[in-house]
Amino acid sequence: MNNTQRMALPLLKNMPVILFVAIFILFSLLDQRFFAVANFSNIILSSSFVGVVAVGMTFVLLTGGIDLSVGATMYITGAVLAMLLEQGTPLPGAIAAGLIAGTLWGCLNAFLIAKVKIIPFMATLGTLTAGRGLGLLITQSRHIAVPQEMRFGAEKFLGIPLPIVIFALVVLVAYLVLNYTATGRQIYAMGNDPDAAKKAGLNTTRLTATVYIVSGFCAALATVIAISQQGSVSSSFGKGVEFRAIAAAVLGGTSLFGGVGNVFPGTVIGVLLMQMIQNGLIYLQVDLYLQDMITALVIFFAVFIDALRMRLLKRLERRNIRVEKGPGRVKAVEPITS
Amino acid sequence: MVDMILQFVQVSKSFFGVPVLKDITLDIERGHIVGLVGENGAGKSTLMNILGGVVPLDSGQMLFNGQAYTPQDPRDADRAGIAFIHQELNLFTNLSIAENFFINKFPRQGKVPLLNRKQIRAKAQDYLALVDLHVSPDTLVERLSPGERQLVEVAKAISVEASVIIFDEPTTSLTARETERLFDIIARLHTAGKTIIYISHILRDVLELSDEIAVLRDGELVTHGPKSEFTINRMISSMVGRDLEHLYPDRTSRPSAQVALEVKGLSKAGLVHNIDLQLHKGELLGVFGLMGSGRSELAQIIFGLESFDQGQVLINGQASTRLSPPRSIKDSMAFVTENRREEGLLMTATVSDNLGLVALPEYSTRLVNVVKQGALSKAVKETVSTLRIKVNDAFKNQAKGLSGGNQQKVVLGKWLMTNPSILIIDEPTRGVDVGAKYEIYSIIDRIAANGTAVLFISSEIEELMGMCDRIVVMGYGEVLGSFERARFNKEEILRTAFRENGK
Amino acid sequence: MATISIPKPSKAHDLPRRILMSEYFILYLCLFSFALLIPFIPVIATPYNLSNLFSNIWPLFAVAIGQTFVLIIAGIDLSQGAVISLTSVIGAALIAQAVDPVVFSKSPLWGSFLFENGAVLAHSPLGIPIAIGAMLAVGLLIGFFNGVAVSFARIPPFMVTLVSSMFCGALAIFLVKSENIINLPTGFTHIGDDTGFFSAAMIIAVVLAVLAQLVLSRTVFGRWLYAIGTNVRAAVVSGVPTRKVTVFTYMFSGFCAAAASIIYSSRMGMGRPTLGDPLLLDIIGGAVIGGTSLSGGKGKILWTFFGVIFLSLLGNALSLLNVPFFWIEIVKGAVILLAALLDVIRTRIFLRNV
Repeated sequence: MNNTQRMALPLLKNMPVILFVAIFILFSLLDQRFFAVANFSNIILSSSFVGVVAVGMTFVLLTGGIDLSVGATMYITGAVLAMLLEQGTPLPGAIAAGLIAGTLWGCLNAFLIAKVKIIPFMATLGTLTAGRGLGLLITQSRHIAVPQEMRFGAEKFLGIPLPIVIFALVVLVAYLVLNYTATGRQIYAMGNDPDAAKKAGLNTTRLTATVYIVSGFCAALATVIAISQQGSVSSSFGKGVEFRAIAAAVLGGTSLFGGVGNVFPGTVIGVLLMQMIQNGLIYLQVDLYLQDMITALVIFFAVFIDALRMRLLKRLERRNIRVEKGPGRVKAVEPITS
Repeated sequence: MVDMILQFVQVSKSFFGVPVLKDITLDIERGHIVGLVGENGAGKSTLMNILGGVVPLDSGQMLFNGQAYTPQDPRDADRAGIAFIHQELNLFTNLSIAENFFINKFPRQGKVPLLNRKQIRAKAQDYLALVDLHVSPDTLVERLSPGERQLVEVAKAISVEASVIIFDEPTTSLTARETERLFDIIARLHTAGKTIIYISHILRDVLELSDEIAVLRDGELVTHGPKSEFTINRMISSMVGRDLEHLYPDRTSRPSAQVALEVKGLSKAGLVHNIDLQLHKGELLGVFGLMGSGRSELAQIIFGLESFDQGQVLINGQASTRLSPPRSIKDSMAFVTENRREEGLLMTATVSDNLGLVALPEYSTRLVNVVKQGALSKAVKETVSTLRIKVNDAFKNQAKGLSGGNQQKVVLGKWLMTNPSILIIDEPTRGVDVGAKYEIYSIIDRIAANGTAVLFISSEIEELMGMCDRIVVMGYGEVLGSFERARFNKEEILRTAFRENGK
Repeated sequence: MATISIPKPSKAHDLPRRILMSEYFILYLCLFSFALLIPFIPVIATPYNLSNLFSNIWPLFAVAIGQTFVLIIAGIDLSQGAVISLTSVIGAALIAQAVDPVVFSKSPLWGSFLFENGAVLAHSPLGIPIAIGAMLAVGLLIGFFNGVAVSFARIPPFMVTLVSSMFCGALAIFLVKSENIINLPTGFTHIGDDTGFFSAAMIIAVVLAVLAQLVLSRTVFGRWLYAIGTNVRAAVVSGVPTRKVTVFTYMFSGFCAAAASIIYSSRMGMGRPTLGDPLLLDIIGGAVIGGTSLSGGKGKILWTFFGVIFLSLLGNALSLLNVPFFWIEIVKGAVILLAALLDVIRTRIFLRNV
């Protein structure tokens, strides 16, 4: 039994890539058009803003937490940005203000979770609701269109559309932070074993606060990308994003239990996978409403695999009393009865 | 003037009112390897935990390099240069070896906050070389065997330039080859002038490695001297000490010939191997073994908390197919686990709620399962008075507020309310004061007198000798030997447990 | 086990702590707030408003009862809102008296459940009971799935119920293409009528509440709930069938949501695929603010009742003050955070006291 378990583990760990290839082949077989190169760049383009949110979400998930409020953060950022633009604020200033607003909302999460110690899903559920309300307050529930200069979503930088450039930059920075800075490695450590992290002297409060601020900032940045592509901020802006971001991260191999996952290739594959599934369903002319259901099933599959992997890992890590001693030290002992 | 790197001066410690260390005065010479031995509960781990800053001492003091040493937490101990290599390793399995070394002290690289992986890798490589571990420093810890992980911990200790390194039962999870390697490293550390404290129940190893040996018994330092003064026999005798000090109630019953519980060829990979056991009605069968011998694991398998690969468990002659706690309880089995705080009690619930937890279904109506509160309360009151549980109001006070002994009685009472025919108890008097201990022994005796078959797991050889009809000794997940009451001999039993019975 | 032991008197600020930890804290808060609001919004105390307030409280309370059970075992059920929506659609799809083909011909239910002259059971005498039965059955089914995923697959409860919430919500919208099914039979819509104090809603809620509290305080199952929420390992060792109990608890939660959906749907006179969406926060907020802890082991139906009253009172006051919708959302979010904060503080005090 142990052997099958040991073999299952690498399979589970490489699930993202396997899934990606499998689904790609599946959809291509079902509809030839899927295979086209144009489709591929379309996939990346549409998924850029969700991808940025998912990168931020990855940070949070790595510590074993969750951020349900990213959609609301996006709405607040969008509201501030759109309103300022409407009132004539120059573009850089409006964007900066929006980014600050969104990041501040992330700071609120950081405070509630790291300092006040409210559990993550509850805290972010609260900030999700309050945040949406705040956004509606700022926009007075209006649907606000943004001026032309903000609609730079189609512009290119060195031949690559801007949204993709920004996404790639975010992934690059996140990758560097997670893999090449002390904070990044400490985030992984804390997610793996919070007690050992405290014992080792890591500032777990600071690390927790950091990931939620990062998540807030990413959501804010994603908003800029989204608005540049969509051209307006409606009252349902950002709704449901948290789900897609969590799904992308978990599909990409990030564990809900913390300590496992990476932004590249992991979350990136997860994002592309989600978008690919969505695109594929559209090509196959699957009912729009059915798509959400399928997305939910996909997410369930992802978290199911995650929980399975965690159980297997726990079992393998259990300390064995009987170790194959091998030749040498310990002599075989005859039981004595008296 | 002998150079003492470490001195314990009349160190005492109690847990929940029960003394665990009594006036320990011990000097450790710089650069020596000190073997620390003793039975379970003798106080070795507690003494080291105090040294390592994990728990505070109650009275007395410690001197390190002649200066007062008062660690508030493990980090203070680290900074002072004392490295504690626990049995439970503190490594992050999702990080590489190198990252584990530097997790709280990554070397800065000038202005840019990025890590210099090459530098980290090179330094880690050096540390790994010191412990002869030839794996890449980029290897994730989760890929290492327990032996290799332990070497990483040793390397960590070296890397922080620790002057004192404590090894707590380091070889339990190691293969023979890994053990050899560990000993080479310890020898090298010794040559380099490090002071080492080596705790182990493999007495042969202790004798081979150490410069001096210290024996603890019942929280006291019984003897301490150079290796030349010790043989394995002497070590065991010191651990055993004087004759039975504690009072045990007279046994009022004899085991019958009827077999209540039988275990045949029970095996579970990594836990137990080929266990054969027979438990008779009215019998008190003791199970003795050192820490990690597989006794509790055996109990968990019998009760159904853990699965098994091969063998049979027969209750009253019937082979149990799918074991599980509800099934076992239906089969009239009871299990008092070894950690009452985590597994035995609902600490924030009332005493009465705790007492009623297992027997609940018996005090409920068949339809709808309404609790017959009247009958249940009556039974609870009876149990409280029979077991003499000291509590103001069993129906209002939380289990948390009771003393250790009374808490243990609550756990016992909970199971007794189901009138079990087989009772497994694991370390029932751990953390319990002397007075309550006697009461618990009396209770256990009465239970056996009633015809219940009792499996009594304990690390205290004396209480097993005082109470049981037979003692089975376990080690490494196997049965190593068994003793009838007439043949009870402390040294023999201990020797069997230490696998030093000469064969 | 459901009572909190009052801490022994020790310091000067003992009275505030005693009030905070008291079972009736939220009730006091309600009465206090109510008294505070009267001078500002005198209409709040009129019989008309009060009866309105309570008619909103009953179905919300019914759902929250199920949530309370789940919270006691240290879980959470985020899918109740979606269950309300889905069961609303399913019930309506069985008994709608007339269905507009222009709106529903593209629906997947057209031709099987929905026809122009009414839904499949529209004119059957047993239509309404069957529809109600179907709604409850669906609630139980979703609860079953949630329970199994939590106890056997070991997926964290918030994730499981978040996913099932998404799935059920999407399913509801899918089945009716986002449209409301109207023309429900009067036999059904009467259920939601405001027949004074003893409305059907009130009876359903109170009956559920009494049964639920009896289960909690008088049955073996209830004791098992508290045991699992306090220390699941100790419960397992003591022979509690934790997995079965977990599944049943989530099933009960789904059941309560379905029961509430009957009231809501009959009141609106339609099957509405977004019926339950705005309710989730009120449900959880009500239960937690009433004193049932997110960390499990503690909870009483009465507390949830007070919590639901408080939240509804708050909503009532805000709408009477003509506060715009977004302010209500902001306040609701803040209240959830407050409830969680309260829970953290209470848990700390509870654990510290012996």
